[in-house]
Formats: sequence, structure tokens, C-alpha cells
Amino acid sequence: MDDYAIGVLTNIALFSFIALSAYLLLIAGEMSFGQQAFFGVGAYAGGILTTLYAWPLPLAALAAMALGAVAQFLVALPTLRLRGLHFAMATLAAAEMARILFELMHWRREIDGELAGPDGTQGFRGIRWIFEHGIEPLHYLGIVGVLLALVLALFLMIERSKLGATLRGVGLDPELAASVGIDVQRIKLGVAAAAGALAALGGVLYAHHNTYIEPRNFDIMLGVHSLAYALIGGLGTAFGPLLGVLLDIGALESTRVFHGYRMIVFGGLVALVLVYRPRGLLDERTVQWLRQRFS
Amino acid sequence: MIADLVQNTLDGLSAGATYALLALGFTLIFGVLRRANLSFGPAIMFGCYAATWTHVNFGAGLLLLALITVSGAVLAGAYVERLCFAPHRGGSAIAAMVASFALWMQFEELATLIMPRHLYAFPLLYEGDPLALGPFTLRIDALAMLGAALAACLALWWTLYRTRFGLAVRALIEQPAAAALAGINVPWVFVRVFALASAIGGVAGYLVVASHGQITPMLGMWATLKGLLAMMLGGLGSLPGAVIGGLALGLIEAHTQWYLGPQMRDLIAYLLLFVLLAARVPWMTTRSAS
Repeated sequence: MDDYAIGVLTNIALFSFIALSAYLLLIAGEMSFGQQAFFGVGAYAGGILTTLYAWPLPLAALAAMALGAVAQFLVALPTLRLRGLHFAMATLAAAEMARILFELMHWRREIDGELAGPDGTQGFRGIRWIFEHGIEPLHYLGIVGVLLALVLALFLMIERSKLGATLRGVGLDPELAASVGIDVQRIKLGVAAAAGALAALGGVLYAHHNTYIEPRNFDIMLGVHSLAYALIGGLGTAFGPLLGVLLDIGALESTRVFHGYRMIVFGGLVALVLVYRPRGLLDERTVQWLRQRFS
Repeated sequence: MIADLVQNTLDGLSAGATYALLALGFTLIFGVLRRANLSFGPAIMFGCYAATWTHVNFGAGLLLLALITVSGAVLAGAYVERLCFAPHRGGSAIAAMVASFALWMQFEELATLIMPRHLYAFPLLYEGDPLALGPFTLRIDALAMLGAALAACLALWWTLYRTRFGLAVRALIEQPAAAALAGINVPWVFVRVFALASAIGGVAGYLVVASHGQITPMLGMWATLKGLLAMMLGGLGSLPGAVIGGLALGLIEAHTQWYLGPQMRDLIAYLLLFVLLAARVPWMTTRSAS
């Protein structure tokens, strides 16, 4: 595989994490415009820990996930009772605050004779853990791929369990779910924490793949893209968000067929698909049909 | 001290007037469709780019440029309505919103394809010294902006409160089911509301680029974010609330920017929105999106 193909595949896997976090919230009935914040929290926290404090990446990733979970839990706590656009705007406000805080963050220390660390709008350079530890791009793709596969397996397991049915129940009709004894608030807080951890994991891996991050990477564009990936791919299965990422980054960006027109093509495609399939390509009905055919 | 306060208040009001127009456009669409149109700002940007393109290639007067901006925004708005909102009427709110985001991507790429430079000059509303009144300076273009925004608000008020179409729009906002039963042609009102909202947005867009004297592809995101913010601050779905929200946002921004700088300005605006939403203040909890 050439470097370009490895780069594209790694990007597909990285953005799948944040798309899956948007998907998790969507099936539980919440639309977030703010997943980019927790992706950013993971990227900054992980980068700071490995670069400034010489933590090993796996440990830094765990810490970043915990931080992402706590961050989204704290955002969810006061906004739990908001619905629809109110909730979306509250998450967007939180995410924009996070982005501005990244811009205001100057946390630099001298490492090997050079200043390293987040430098406000100048960005955060030199997140070199994977190079310093001799991890080749293909090897890194393998690590990211295995992690994504683990997350997917977890999703598929949950969707087949009672918890999965509970999640969808809360998403479709919270009042009805509450009336059959489901603690809707607890479920929603749990979903928020899990989505935050998932986005943060994507962020940590993204920062170490790119070696450079800046606050602009985590603006509303990333958040709404992840929402679009989840919705276009379909809300019927956790493979949906992956399909969404694959269509955009895999099919359109990498083939360069529509070079310069990619967003015009992808944008039109998304709008048209949603006309005929408002819950995405792999929606619940399609997934049901596929299951009956192949099992 | 006092002079700064007065000066900032004046500046804040004229910026707030454009925010109010953006919020009114958003509110009209949200009020009757119960859907947020993320492509609202990008459609305005499309109109502004059409005007800039005309200016760069042929040169045109201020009035003609304003006309092109507004018609461009209405045209782009019609495209958004047909592709994102007409098919999802009574269907999924999230699908409509994501579809409108998809078209946002289209508008942005189209703008950079037609006009590849990051920044283009736009003819200024007024070139000359600001008016000096004792210790205060009044920027003539800011004054013109305030006047034009007020005129647009008045025209909108007249349309909504003094015409049959306006009555239909208000009926749909207040009681959608009863309005449909009373024989209002709902799809047709939707189309016209979209055109009206886009036209108001076009006016706001023209005022912004003509007072800054330049245009960048960031205009689309800027207009969508400011419009959403002002609409939410004023209470979702209320027309007078949109005006108050816009003016309040302008005033808050002008004062915080003066004392704390541009980053704190944005931080405080979003913090305020978050706190007000979380506190579920009475004027913001009336209507929900989906």
C-alpha cells in the first residue's frame, strides 16, 4: 500500500470514532452539534500528556477518554431536559466555548531544548510519540483499525442486548420509555459520557496521526460533518456511520474523480439520499430486511 | 469612560440591527416550518458572491449590487427549500437540517470555485470621514446600516401584520393545525416565507459586506451562527424576540469586545446562551424543534 492509501484509510478510521459518537446520541434521541469539542478535548489532553509529560500513548489515551467522558457528562447534566434544537444549540455553545478556550490555552514547556505544547491560535506542534517510538504509518493504521473494530463489536453487542432496545426506546419516545420504568435521565447521562469518551478516543488518535493540531480543527464543521456521516450512513446499525465516512472521505476525496467539486457532489448526494431515505442508507427497515435475508 | 460606554452602545446597536435581521430570517423559517435552516447564512453568502462577481467583472452601482445580493439570496433560498425542506414536510426535522448543512457545503465550494481568492474587496457604503459630534464619532455607514435595518424591520412588520399573507404566516406560527384547517394553502405559504426570509437575510448580508468593504467565504458560517445565536437568545420562534435578541447580542458583543477583547466577546456570548438554555428561562422554553 502506498502512503497515500494508508493516510486515507487512517483518516476514515479516525473520523469513524466521532461519527459513531454522533450516532450513539442520535439513536438515544439527541442531536448534538458539539461532538467536535470532545474530539478536541481528547486531542489536546492526549497530546499534552505524551508530549509534555512523556506518558505512553495507551495511558494518555485512557486518560483522554476519561476526560472526554467527564466533559460531556458535565455538559449533559444541565442540558438533560432540553430537546431538539435547544439541545443542539446548547451543545454547540459548549463546543464553541471549548474551541475558544483552546485558542486561549498557552501551555508550553521546554522539551529537548525546544518549546513544545499548545500555543493558542498558533496551534500545537510536535506531537511525535508514534515517530519517537518507531511506529510506521501502516502499523499505526493497524492499531487504529483494531480499536475501531473493538468499538464496533461493542456497539453490535449492545444493539443485540436489552440495553440496545432500551436506548432505541428512549430515543423514539422518552415518555413511553419512562412509563415502563426506564430511568431516562440515567440512560441519557450514560450515553453522553460514552459518546464523550468515544469522541475523545478519536481525538487522541487523530492528534498523534497528524502531529499538529489547532483550535480551528475543532469547529462546527467537524461536528455537523459527523452528524451528517451518521445520518447519511443510516441509523439502523453501527455500520451506518462508517458507511457515511467511507462515502465522503473514501469514495469522494481519495478517488479525486470530482477533484475541486467534491463538496458539491457530496452535498447534493446527501440532500438527495435524505429525500428518499430520511434515516439514512442503512436505516432500521433495511437492516431488518438484510438480517432476515442473511440469517 | 462615559464616552466609551456611549460609543460602544452606538456601535453595538448598529451591529445588533444586522443580527436582528438575520435572526428574523431564521425565526420566520423556524416559526412556520419548525426546522432550522443551516444553509440560511450560506445562501446569503451566495447572493453576496454573485454581487461581488458582478462588481469585479463589470462594475456596478451600490443599488444594483444590493439588488443582485438580495435576488441571489432568494434564488439560493428557493433551491434550499426545494431540496431540503419541501421533501421533509411533516417528516424528519433532523434529516431536513442535515440536508441543509449538505447544501451549505455546496455553496461554500461554489463560492471558492467561482472566486478563488480568500478575500475580495466590496464597494463601501460610504467612504469618508466619520461624523464628529463632540467627543463621539458616528460612522456614517454604521448609521446607514442602522437605518436600513430599521426600514427592513418596518417593511417586514407591515408585511406580517397588515397583509393577508402576513396573517397566514402568523396563523401558521401560532396554530399550525387550525391554520391548515382554515383553508390556508400551507405549501405555498412555506415557499413565500422562505423567499421573504432569504430576502431579509440578503439585505443583512449586503449591509455587512458593504460596511466592512470585503467578503470572504467565512461569511456563510458567520451569518448562520450569529443568526442562530440571536434567535435563541430572543426565544425560539418569536418575531419581536428575534429583534430583541439581535440587538442584545450586538450590545453585549460591543461592550465585551471593548473591555475584554474579541475572544472573550465570543466566549461570553456562547456562555450566556448556554446558561440561559440550561436555566430554561421562561422566554426560551416555549417551543421545541422536533
